[in-house]
Amino acid sequence: MAEKPVGRSELGRIVGGSPRAVENALAELGTSYEGTGLRLQRSGDEWQIVTATEHAPQVAAYLGADRLRLSAASLETLSVIAYRQPVTRAEVEAIRGVNCDQTIYTLASRRLIDERGRKEAPGRPILYGTTWEFLECFGLQSLDDLPHALSPEGQVLESVGGRGAEPPDR
Amino acid sequence: MDSQAPRVTVEGFDGPLDLLLELVEEKKLDILTVRLGDLADEYLARVRAMPSLPADEVSAFLALASRLVLLKARSLLPSLEPLAEEETESEEELRLRLLEYAVVRERAGQLGARLRAGERAFHREGGTIELPPRGGEVDALASAWSRVLALAGRHGEREEDIVAPGERYSVEQRTAEIEALVAAQGEVSFATLLAETPTVGFAVVTFIALLDLYRRGVIDLSQDELFSDILITGRELSSAQS
Repeated sequence: MAEKPVGRSELGRIVGGSPRAVENALAELGTSYEGTGLRLQRSGDEWQIVTATEHAPQVAAYLGADRLRLSAASLETLSVIAYRQPVTRAEVEAIRGVNCDQTIYTLASRRLIDERGRKEAPGRPILYGTTWEFLECFGLQSLDDLPHALSPEGQVLESVGGRGAEPPDR
Repeated sequence: MDSQAPRVTVEGFDGPLDLLLELVEEKKLDILTVRLGDLADEYLARVRAMPSLPADEVSAFLALASRLVLLKARSLLPSLEPLAEEETESEEELRLRLLEYAVVRERAGQLGARLRAGERAFHREGGTIELPPRGGEVDALASAWSRVLALAGRHGEREEDIVAPGERYSVEQRTAEIEALVAAQGEVSFATLLAETPTVGFAVVTFIALLDLYRRGVIDLSQDELFSDILITGRELSSAQS
């Protein structure tokens, strides 16, 4: 049991199985955890066993963990990055309409986001994405678990699809 | 369209889009159909009422205000000369931005709710697991035990018979003995050392003497596998000194 997420290829190498076999085994493992205190968490190709969100109060009490607090501004910035990653600071600012230096710094220092290389664009701006800590702190098993917009306008925008992928005022 | 918790920020508003969205929601207007220019007056009033802000933040609010005023002017005077295309943002573009921002705010609210609910996961912290040394086989343990039995058997007596009252061994004395033995023979096995007097007290003293010799760098210790006999060899330099 690793303290860090393990890649699928590494798992395949250890057990001597094909990526597909590993994938199937992981899916099976994930299913077998249902109803237990454990969950399988995935980010991209990496996997890790984590505790179930239902037991968060007990585990937090045991670990003496503090509850994460974020301002509304930080949450907005985080949600833009989570749904649009990888994304540059300028793109986040275009969507929120305000300077996001401080909130990005805060999120990065709390390890909720990290740098994902640079965009092939003038100035080669840094691209940001969410981290394992992000999935953990919000109890998401993977980015697929991100909540969907419930408001009518949100659904309109989601149905528009790729339209929102670029800052619309550029 | 009420977010689940009151949104409190230092500035009061998280920027111009936030303020505009606030107006739309307060008036229960539909983002998709509202004439944004109609909100210009109220938007300006709110900006004026705001406490003093850093210049760059004020400019962001004012930039949006000027757009709203322009949109309003357009709707009042449709004959107005259109500005150069790249300098202006059409109402639809602004609406799309507002829509997009509304979604961001909604998602932020959902994420915030998850955070407040405290439903999160934890992973295992701490270093890698310490595994016991390899080769810890039951067979090795069994054969070691049988060697001990054989040793005891060779003397044909049970240990409690051997142990005489007042039996005394001194570590210093034993150390000197072993040191001399190693110096003379070059190497000696642990089993041989124990064979003289196979009692617990003697074994303990012998063992401590070995540890002391090893600590002083007089001897080297080696063991081929777990539970096998320990070989004691003299170190040339040290034994030459002593």
